[in-house]
Amino acid sequence: MNDRMERLGADAAQLNVSRGPERDGWWQAAGVVAMAAGVVVAFVAYQLSRNMSDPRDISSMLILSVSMLALAVVGAAVFLRYSFARFLRFWLLRQLMEDHAHIDRLVASIDNGRVPQSQDHP
Amino acid sequence: MSELVERTRNTSELVEPALELCGVHAAYGGIEVLHGIDLAVPAGAVVALLGANGAGKSTAVKVAAGLLAPTSGSVRVAGHDVTGAAAHDLARIGVCTIPEGRGVFPNLTVRENLWMATQVAAVTGGVAGVERVAFERFPQLAERRSQLAGTLSGGEQQMLALARALVTDPAVLLLDELSMGLAPIVVQRLYEIVAQVAREGISILVVEQFAQAVLGIADRAAIMVNGEITRAGSPSELGSELSSAYLGG
Repeated sequence: MNDRMERLGADAAQLNVSRGPERDGWWQAAGVVAMAAGVVVAFVAYQLSRNMSDPRDISSMLILSVSMLALAVVGAAVFLRYSFARFLRFWLLRQLMEDHAHIDRLVASIDNGRVPQSQDHP
Repeated sequence: MSELVERTRNTSELVEPALELCGVHAAYGGIEVLHGIDLAVPAGAVVALLGANGAGKSTAVKVAAGLLAPTSGSVRVAGHDVTGAAAHDLARIGVCTIPEGRGVFPNLTVRENLWMATQVAAVTGGVAGVERVAFERFPQLAERRSQLAGTLSGGEQQMLALARALVTDPAVLLLDELSMGLAPIVVQRLYEIVAQVAREGISILVVEQFAQAVLGIADRAAIMVNGEITRAGSPSELGSELSSAYLGG
């Protein structure tokens, strides 16, 4: 086995492989569920607390309500994080494609011995 | 392990293959493109994956490179299961892909394209080391070091993509349609470089539509038809199979 293979084997063994083909999709779904569940449970807990007379029960319900609101905020952050990752990857690819096309037009124009006409500045 | 995997393995190699696809199924949305392919790239060997347009060759490369997760089956690197690993992680450990088309950043100069390699892998000698290694192997690029990559000829762009890959000292190289849009003499020159790289011990999987371009340097070859590997063996064994793979029947 050559050095390269030894190094490859060692590095591959240490590789952090996360399973599942649609990791972003799962995280997005988890974010939506956390967001929805957080808002619903927070609202229900708050409504229940209004019908209680014992201050300790009210405190418990309010703590639950605030915790669920925090969960909703975390869920929203997770959802945005993975939505943006997907969007930004697409945006980067589109940018690269547009750059390719732009340079192709420039090179074609140079080859043809003329300056390209800009549509923005007639 | 299937017979096809065994046949694509070099029997003289006692070590695990550098790269192995085992029963890989892959799909774009609901459309399955790979129907359980088995393929092994032995350490230090050149394996050619051949087939007509739309056979699923590039998809196989995407799966091997971590750009597309298989729906089932596994990808193994040096005997370790890396199924689902991200492409940048695989690149970092030495599985380097040169994608179909030009594969360079057209609006960066030749030097800047090479510098990008230092962002992915720990390169000996840093930026200066990258340039020295690349320009020693490709003197043609040295003359154009300050030129925008998009203004290079097709062959020079492929050389740049190869140079950028090689400066990271990869263990496995995945080449997707290296000959696309290039003149035969340029293709011949590029495959001479690939053969030289293989002699240095880098394991190479070459995907090619034009079989003759690559069979001269390949140790093993496999023919892909409609998302399945129908035949694998040495290039001489596959000669008669090629026409039916491309023309049907």
